[in-house]
Amino acid sequence: MDPFLTSRMVTDILSGLTNGVIYGMVALSLVLIWRSTGVLNFAQGAMPMFATYIGFALLSYHFSYWWCVIACVIAGVLIGGLTERLLVRPLYGKPEINPIVVMVGFLIVLEAVAAAIWSSFPRSLPGPFSSIHWQLAGKPFALSPFIVYEIATGLLVMIAVAVLFRFTKLGLQLRASAVAPEVSRLLGVRVGRMLTLGWMLSTVVGVITTILLSSNFFSGLTPQINDGIFAFGFIAAAVGGLESPVGAIVVGVLLGIVNQFVTDYVNQNAVIIIALALLVVSLMIRPSGVFTKPTERRV
Amino acid sequence: MKLSESRLRVPIAIVVAIVATVISLVSAASVREGVAISLAFDLAIACATALSLPDLKSRHPVVSRAAFTLLGLDVAIFITFFLNSSTNFNLATGAAMSIVLLGLSFLTGASGQISLGNGAFMGVGAFTMAIWANHHATTPIVLTLLIAVACGALVGLLLGLPATRLRGPYLAGMTLAFAVAFTFILSSFSSWTGGDSGLQLPTAAVAPRWLDGFFHAGTSPLTTTTLYITDVAIIVAGVAFFFMANLFASRTGRAMRLIRDNDVAAELVGISLPRARVVAFIVSSAYAALGGAMLTLIDNSVSPPTYSFALSVTILSLIVIGGIGTISGAVIGGIIYAFSTNVISWITNQTGLNPQGNFASQLNGIIFGGLLILTMLFAPLGIAGAARQLWHRVRSRTSG
Repeated sequence: MDPFLTSRMVTDILSGLTNGVIYGMVALSLVLIWRSTGVLNFAQGAMPMFATYIGFALLSYHFSYWWCVIACVIAGVLIGGLTERLLVRPLYGKPEINPIVVMVGFLIVLEAVAAAIWSSFPRSLPGPFSSIHWQLAGKPFALSPFIVYEIATGLLVMIAVAVLFRFTKLGLQLRASAVAPEVSRLLGVRVGRMLTLGWMLSTVVGVITTILLSSNFFSGLTPQINDGIFAFGFIAAAVGGLESPVGAIVVGVLLGIVNQFVTDYVNQNAVIIIALALLVVSLMIRPSGVFTKPTERRV
Repeated sequence: MKLSESRLRVPIAIVVAIVATVISLVSAASVREGVAISLAFDLAIACATALSLPDLKSRHPVVSRAAFTLLGLDVAIFITFFLNSSTNFNLATGAAMSIVLLGLSFLTGASGQISLGNGAFMGVGAFTMAIWANHHATTPIVLTLLIAVACGALVGLLLGLPATRLRGPYLAGMTLAFAVAFTFILSSFSSWTGGDSGLQLPTAAVAPRWLDGFFHAGTSPLTTTTLYITDVAIIVAGVAFFFMANLFASRTGRAMRLIRDNDVAAELVGISLPRARVVAFIVSSAYAALGGAMLTLIDNSVSPPTYSFALSVTILSLIVIGGIGTISGAVIGGIIYAFSTNVISWITNQTGLNPQGNFASQLNGIIFGGLLILTMLFAPLGIAGAARQLWHRVRSRTSG
């Protein structure tokens, strides 16, 4: 009927949006942890991957999709909280590379243990909605019920995080303990608890991303599912500015769309190369990110 | 008393050397073997004597480092003659890896930053080596190695320039993205890189004829070639080690350590932070490329799956366990790498795991990842740091 909606450009934009929402969420979860604890969490992909494996183990006991999702989120909360308490807390105030190395180690362990328990063969998760694309006047349209569910979930998560941080008392406490831990402590905020909560929150965002990814992509759930996604998420977060949640989301979504155009007009291999080039160029021009105001560093 | 002792050292060493020469010449099976063994002994004695002189280290640090390197090389090469081919091959890969680890150790020790992409930089060197050798077969190997190193340095400059200007984990993140992207870069240029199957070197490195004389008759040429390539790898690693030891101690090295410990103070005394960080990153990339090129030389071929993200992670684990920021840590890491496969298959056998099972195939990751976390939490300077601490404790106890 309307050839515009099935045109190549609209198809690319809509398909790109699907990936973009994923990248945006990964970038958001990275920024959440970076802002609150000053750690770039290299296990940000592996922790949710592990939680998703645990949650979807319930499938073999004939639980429904939604029960599995709830189990995944609970597992994510536990993993996020325990990680902060046991692995990250001893490292506050240590040189910057220590948490990086520990989280890389955690990434290796989680991926290896997941592969040891559940094997590295891809496991396809059921989707709650059909992923067969709609047809418009005999032509395939870029959206399917599942993709709409995916994009809607992504937007919902982002809005929920924004509302939490901006309009609730808890959000205010979270922000306060990230910006000025000492002052917050004096004012009666349980800073340690807030940091743990930040890690839990970020892992849950990651879990939702991983669930969407592993039922959407043809690849299914594998221990390495988030390795590549993490790279794109970091690129989005760094280009947008590691300090800026809005920047992370916006750049993540744009990056998804750009990638789709590159896939369509160049090839699949060029995607990450171009993304890397974008990162290099953007850091050259605007080191602290597109969405953050450059600040001076106090001595 | 002490003075005369140190004066006596040189004549004693000469006597010992003469005795060693005579014994090895008399007892060796052939003249050639006797000459080689006595040369090895004499060199070791000369280096050890030089190192034992009291003020060599403070007056001529470069000479002292050279003597130390020569002693290490001498002992290592002497040992390789008594090992079987597969152990030698492992040692050769370990030597190549220790070059890479030296670079990463310098980056962290010097600028406090870390790279998660050194596996990809290794790949740059490895593929440059193979591609150049396939297109220009007449270029001497040493020159090809240098070209590979230059390529690694160039890519390092390209990525390091933006990332090292920033505080924070940008370099780590960007190098991770590079490591993930590297496989795709290789397949994008498959007409050069040989696609999935990789590349073969046009001419294999073959041991020179004179080396055969050191073996009993009937030794297969393969054994000789493995020994030759192992010793070449060890020598290259030794040269890399020597340069790195000097760099660590040089003005640049000291300036960089100041940056790591207190970057504000470093800027105040006039060190340019971005420049020093970029230089450290370039050195680390160049060393990684040299290690990768050596690996191509050892394997005679290069294949893309070797240079996946997992390799970068392995490199990080090795240097952290060995001792990040130290030179000896790189050597320890290289030795761990050389024998890790053997040790892990030994563990698999001892515990009765199914070697084809899921758990056994992931044992590598579980052990390395676990050690990485434990090292960082409880002994951040790794084996080298722990050994140094122990040594100081023992010395302070014995001296007073």
